[in-house]
Amino acid sequence: MPAPGIEKVSDWILGRHPERTHLAFEEDLIESRLVDSLSFVELVYVIEDASGVEVDFDNIDIADFKTLSAIEKAFFAGAGVS
Amino acid sequence: MHAVSYTAQWMAAARSLESEREDALFADPLASALAAPDGFRLIERYAGGGLLPFISIRTRFLDDAIGELRSDPSIRQVVLIAAGMDTRAFRLDWPEDTVVFEVDHEPLLVEKQRRLTELGAEPRVDRRVVPADLTREWLPDLEKAGFDPARPTLWVAEALTFFLTEEQAGGLLNTLGSVSAPGSRLALDILGRALLRSPFSKPFLDRLADDGTPWIFGTDEPEEFLLAHGWKVDAIKEPGQPGAGEGRWPYEVQPPERRGANRLWLLQAEYLEG
Repeated sequence: MPAPGIEKVSDWILGRHPERTHLAFEEDLIESRLVDSLSFVELVYVIEDASGVEVDFDNIDIADFKTLSAIEKAFFAGAGVS
Repeated sequence: MHAVSYTAQWMAAARSLESEREDALFADPLASALAAPDGFRLIERYAGGGLLPFISIRTRFLDDAIGELRSDPSIRQVVLIAAGMDTRAFRLDWPEDTVVFEVDHEPLLVEKQRRLTELGAEPRVDRRVVPADLTREWLPDLEKAGFDPARPTLWVAEALTFFLTEEQAGGLLNTLGSVSAPGSRLALDILGRALLRSPFSKPFLDRLADDGTPWIFGTDEPEEFLLAHGWKVDAIKEPGQPGAGEGRWPYEVQPPERRGANRLWLLQAEYLEG
């Protein structure tokens, strides 16, 4: 079961890419260019809104944003929150 | 050609693509011929990150800054620094007595002229090319071409500061100021710092570095930076705002207080006398 709230992140990404209807949990968001350097800040705010976790922009680990699965683990799992 | 000239072809390709759009922000019919041979390949190589819309929005913003000359008779001398494959001298409406200087590397200017001649392109203004090495003392070359430091100037520095160090960018602003008569103006773009630090920019920035054209300088305080070098900003825009491609920017315009946002600054400034 995905953590509550992560679907908001998924919906936001899909909303930016009307050509896509499905986003796999393990799909690489960076390689696939679903999220780029300019939309990244929007992604961060969507994650913050949905998870209630504040992201530290000065110490961003790109690995935490690579896939929906990584985002869930880093920000929605309740543990290991940065 | 010098590595930065590949950037010139890339920009020309971007302007060519914009010109084909129904909602084009400008039309540059010469651009596709100036983009060869590498421009369109580089569009693919550097795709993403809002670059194409940014190049178009910036082109239009600087076109508009030049357009303001028509209602302001005080400036009739314009210098395009590192002009690349820019064709403003051929496609904009210029006040009658204006002189436009295009400064860039000689091999680029020679190749550009060869192509323009082949296309039968005629400038719409008194256009003077100035072969110069911007990393050395280049003002004497500009003056040799007829530039008059006693007359107010509009300087246009498009996609230039990225490739410099902070010290070089500041030095460039000082250099421009040293030959800017009262009333002189500057129009340019500057990268935000976050963009250069974001891990999401890294694949793109790495490609630029691999190609010998790394992006180096950016600031999140462009007004302070310009002021420290004698230039007072009187217009500042980010893409997507009114007057800067509103409706054509595929991202949200981030409120000023939002931390971590990748910003791209479009600026106009006036030289502070003395």
